[in-house]
Amino acid sequence: MIATIFSPLSETFIQKALLGGSLVAIVCGVVGCLVVVRRMAFLGDALSHAMIAGVGAGYLFMKLVFGKEAHAPAMLLGSLIAAGITVGMIAFVSRVSRLKEDTVIGIMYCGVFAAGVVLVSVFRDHIHIDIVHFIMGDVLGVTDTDLWVAGIVGAAVLTVLTLFFRAFQFSSFDPVAARAAGIPVALVDITLTLCVSLVVVSAVSMVGVILVVGLLITPAATAYLLCDRLDRMMGLAALFGVTSVAGGLALAMALDSAGGGAIMCFCTAQFLAVLALAPRYGLLAGWRRRRNMIPQQLFEDILGSVLRGKPPVAAAVVASHVHLHRGRLARAIATMKSDGLLLESQEGLSLTDEGLLHARRLQRAHRLWETYLARVGVPEKELHEKAHVLEHVHEEEAVDYIDDLLGHPERDPHGADIPEDFVHVEGGAPVPASFLREGRRATVVSAPAATGLAVGQRIAMAPRRNEGRTWVAKREDGSEALLDHAAADAVMVQPDSESGLRPAVRPAK
Amino acid sequence: MITDARVPAIQVDNLTVSYGPRPALLDVSVAIEAGTLVGVIGPNGSGKSTLIKAILGFVKRDFGTVKIFGEPVEEARGRLAYVPQRGAVDWDYPVTVEEVAMMGRYGRIPWWSSPSAEDRRIVGESLDIVRMGDFRKRQIGQLSGGQQQRVFMARALAQGADILLLDEPFAGVDAATERALLEVLRQARSAGRTLVVVHHDLATAAETFDRLILLKQRMYGYGPPEAVMHEDLLTAVYEGRLRIFGKLAQPEAKR
Ligand SMILES: Nc1ncnc2c1ncn2[C@@H]1O[C@H](COP(=O)(O)OP(=O)(O)O)[C@@H](O)[C@H]1O
Ligand SMILES: [Mg+2]
Repeated sequence: MIATIFSPLSETFIQKALLGGSLVAIVCGVVGCLVVVRRMAFLGDALSHAMIAGVGAGYLFMKLVFGKEAHAPAMLLGSLIAAGITVGMIAFVSRVSRLKEDTVIGIMYCGVFAAGVVLVSVFRDHIHIDIVHFIMGDVLGVTDTDLWVAGIVGAAVLTVLTLFFRAFQFSSFDPVAARAAGIPVALVDITLTLCVSLVVVSAVSMVGVILVVGLLITPAATAYLLCDRLDRMMGLAALFGVTSVAGGLALAMALDSAGGGAIMCFCTAQFLAVLALAPRYGLLAGWRRRRNMIPQQLFEDILGSVLRGKPPVAAAVVASHVHLHRGRLARAIATMKSDGLLLESQEGLSLTDEGLLHARRLQRAHRLWETYLARVGVPEKELHEKAHVLEHVHEEEAVDYIDDLLGHPERDPHGADIPEDFVHVEGGAPVPASFLREGRRATVVSAPAATGLAVGQRIAMAPRRNEGRTWVAKREDGSEALLDHAAADAVMVQPDSESGLRPAVRPAK
Repeated sequence: MITDARVPAIQVDNLTVSYGPRPALLDVSVAIEAGTLVGVIGPNGSGKSTLIKAILGFVKRDFGTVKIFGEPVEEARGRLAYVPQRGAVDWDYPVTVEEVAMMGRYGRIPWWSSPSAEDRRIVGESLDIVRMGDFRKRQIGQLSGGQQQRVFMARALAQGADILLLDEPFAGVDAATERALLEVLRQARSAGRTLVVVHHDLATAAETFDRLILLKQRMYGYGPPEAVMHEDLLTAVYEGRLRIFGKLAQPEAKR
């Protein structure tokens, strides 16, 4: 049984196909990663299409001048020259004409390819090149020469990429900084182009002109969906290349199809499967994330109702605040528990430190929005409802802006305390003195002379005066510095950290 | 390398750079002393990024010279570190926070060896200075705007370069991070480094920098903020957009 499955493996042409295909696929995968992150897939296309002209010209030259048949090094060199000319023409035409680069690429590589086809067919008496072989490749007819070429090219390219990995990574990621750091970016680019050319040339004889680009970029793109590091992406791309070749050959055997086509079909199917299933960047993962996502709003309402209800709060109480289907509420609470926001005991739900932090941020946003709405003239009975919608706009920057605009108010229109800006005050960095609430202690970091505060001075905030418009900073000797809003904004202080968050002092009416 | 205190860290003479018929920089000359924190201000498209890239030797000069500590810029490899503009970075690039910071060391690691313990220590320290030590293994796309800027700052610090060039490091960054980054810049200056920072916020420019470069294709001013933030100069450069700094007349600069 097993013997019948593996019997094709004993055939020499299959062994060679597997070996040669894997060699090519590994190098293609690794180089392809740089092609993908550099967004230069077109280069592979241009190169492979230019090849037939190059091979034809190389063949003809050696035949006519030296009388040698199918001289491999000359054909290789010819391909590289043809590729160089194609790439150069693309760059030149897109610079001097108003055509965009993608159009120019299409024109050039079709043109060069066509010229190659004409060349080979006109000189068909001298050149014995099978155009069909070129287009379709012939992985099942791999010769020993092909194997040697693939092996040598592969070893050379992999050695260069491994030794200079850091240079390739840095210059493809941030060429300006790489150059500043002393990496010869232009040389690295030329080397990369040369590596891509070599790899493409060695792969064409196996999978053909049309499919070589696929072998270059598909395994790399598959790996890209799974990796956050270039080195791992390269390893995985090599692996995907090999599985494509093995799977593709098996497919070709089973269906009795062309080898190159089967390899690319398998490779593409593999990509689609990973695209669907990849744990982080896959479609299914994205879809599940969206489905499992409790609407932010709901989750914030639950936090708010637990905070307001003096925890622990029974789940039934939360349910009466948050109008929601029981099952969904239970799921929301379960998610929030596993996210470390809520704790559940027999008495009911309470907040973790993290949950309290979130809840206080929301409360701060809500009360600031209420104050803002009152300031812009929204009638009192609409305040809560409108603020309830707006509190979900709680991006730090937006809330800070509102806070500053309102002169850092301490109470909302209902007389409830607006939580202090603990995100910044407890953030560890200096803050403007205007952020400080009564009782906070701090050290002055910088202050305009006119404020009467000096760098290094210790201060404690006393209650504000003048309806909250004058800040009072008490120095250690008991004297006071009075600051208006602008001055309090201009004085930077390093607040003493008060462990944890301060509980709400005064609940809303 | 001996650095004479009187040789400017960066000396640009009669620099002209163009991307076509219209020059992006026209006859720009400036000498920046070592150990200063310099802000580059000017409206969009005024050539700020181009000036930075010219100092890095990355754009072709039509005319003019750039000298780094008296030497032609081509010979100053590794003495300059660069923090790119946010929009110029591929945030999907498969690279982690730690690797980006390590790139700062790449210029010093010989190609045949891997990063040494010393390199790793320096990278760790640099990440700690910008408070990104907890995010080492994160892919850079999965950070907030402020965190992303801090990673690139860490890379520049890890490089240990004498001169740091930063292109709009405060764009898309919250106020707290801006203050933290600024603190890091000031520390670097105290350590004798020279910093050139493209800055978009006129309102905070004066209080942030020792010297300002006011640029719009040409050099409109270089000097202490009080000399450069001059109403006539700003009017000339910002034309109709005077409203932006109408506030500056009063000294109650925000934040
Ligand atoms: N690669 C480029 N090709 C063509 N024009 C460019 C290029 N880079 C910048 N420019 C042009 O040069 C001018 C200066 O650009 P830049 O230095 O980016 O300005 P800034 O950074 O002050 O916004 C602009 O008019 C811009 O359109
Ligand atoms: Mg710019």
